[in-house]
Amino acid sequence: MRNDSFSSIWVVCPAYNESSAIVSVITRLRQAGYDVVVVDDGSADDTRQLASTLATAVVSHPINLGQGAALKTGIDYALEQGADVIVTFDTDGQHRASDIPRLLDALVSNQADFALGSRFLSEPLNMPRMRRILLWGATLFTVATTGLRLTDTHNGLRAMTRRGAQALRLRQNRMAHASELLAEIARSRLRYVEVPVTIDYTTYSLAKGQRTGDFVMILLDLLAGKLYR
Amino acid sequence: MIAQLVLSLLLAVVLLYAWAQYRRSPIVTILSCVVSLMGFYFVWLPSHATRVAEFVGIGRGADLILYVWACISLVVLLNLHLKLRTQHELLTQLARSIALANAALPEDARPVDAPRKSSLTEAQMSQPRYRRTDAPTPGQTADQSA
Repeated sequence: MRNDSFSSIWVVCPAYNESSAIVSVITRLRQAGYDVVVVDDGSADDTRQLASTLATAVVSHPINLGQGAALKTGIDYALEQGADVIVTFDTDGQHRASDIPRLLDALVSNQADFALGSRFLSEPLNMPRMRRILLWGATLFTVATTGLRLTDTHNGLRAMTRRGAQALRLRQNRMAHASELLAEIARSRLRYVEVPVTIDYTTYSLAKGQRTGDFVMILLDLLAGKLYR
Repeated sequence: MIAQLVLSLLLAVVLLYAWAQYRRSPIVTILSCVVSLMGFYFVWLPSHATRVAEFVGIGRGADLILYVWACISLVVLLNLHLKLRTQHELLTQLARSIALANAALPEDARPVDAPRKSSLTEAQMSQPRYRRTDAPTPGQTADQSA
């Protein structure tokens, strides 16, 4: 499957009130030739309607559950469709479709099951200082808790093989899913590789992104997730 | 003596509940057992409360009991929080099942200016390892493959 070709590549785009960005994001992905499933996470605006005209498929949560839940739904859908490779891609416009081939290349050349985007292996554009400090702290936390050697732990652009996706057990609905996903990669003992990607920080993507207080909630969510089965 | 028996009965119920919860949340079980056993200790040996309080630097035995009660309340809150999370996970699974069962496939609703898979240019599909099975092969034009 992995040595010569990926016959089915699905890009999972979780979306919540993304009507102002989703058209350009999905259009670029479709022009690049990928199947795109948009997971509308109970948006109150017309995200779903806009996605319906462009994406390969639209899956809609009846209520807002969070980005982690939307990603899991999209991954499940892609697996149902027989995806060989699943790419997760934010819909706020911070990722570039042109980075995806590098992730796919990395999966093949490293015989890996996960290719994780890292903004710190390339030059981050317009990254606010506070965001850099928080991400640095998150990276230290992840390295300490999972043992994974990573430079960027909260990057939404990743690619995973079918086997990798099937190995993930994701329960965190909200922002803690990024850390949980890395913990699951560590647990699975499957091979992973980091790939340089570019993040375009815009006023819009920064407004949609995580805030300082979110990191406290992420830690509490991760802790609570450990306390029950 | 009557109060001690009643309190002991209640604490025994807490212990049974804690045991029943072990599979769902070991941490709640452990904390519940600890506070229940402390309860048994102080119910049957109330005079020790003051000595233990002095030992841990609280002063009065009544204050120690109050603090233990506060700890019990926190354990109850934690247990409720974890139950809520469990319920939320079930709700998530239900919502996900509904969403997947009602997935929209708007392939035919695509606007005319948006590309279909089969009409992608060769340059866009220039990576043969990832070439889609229905994409044009190198040297073949999009029209030929359509």
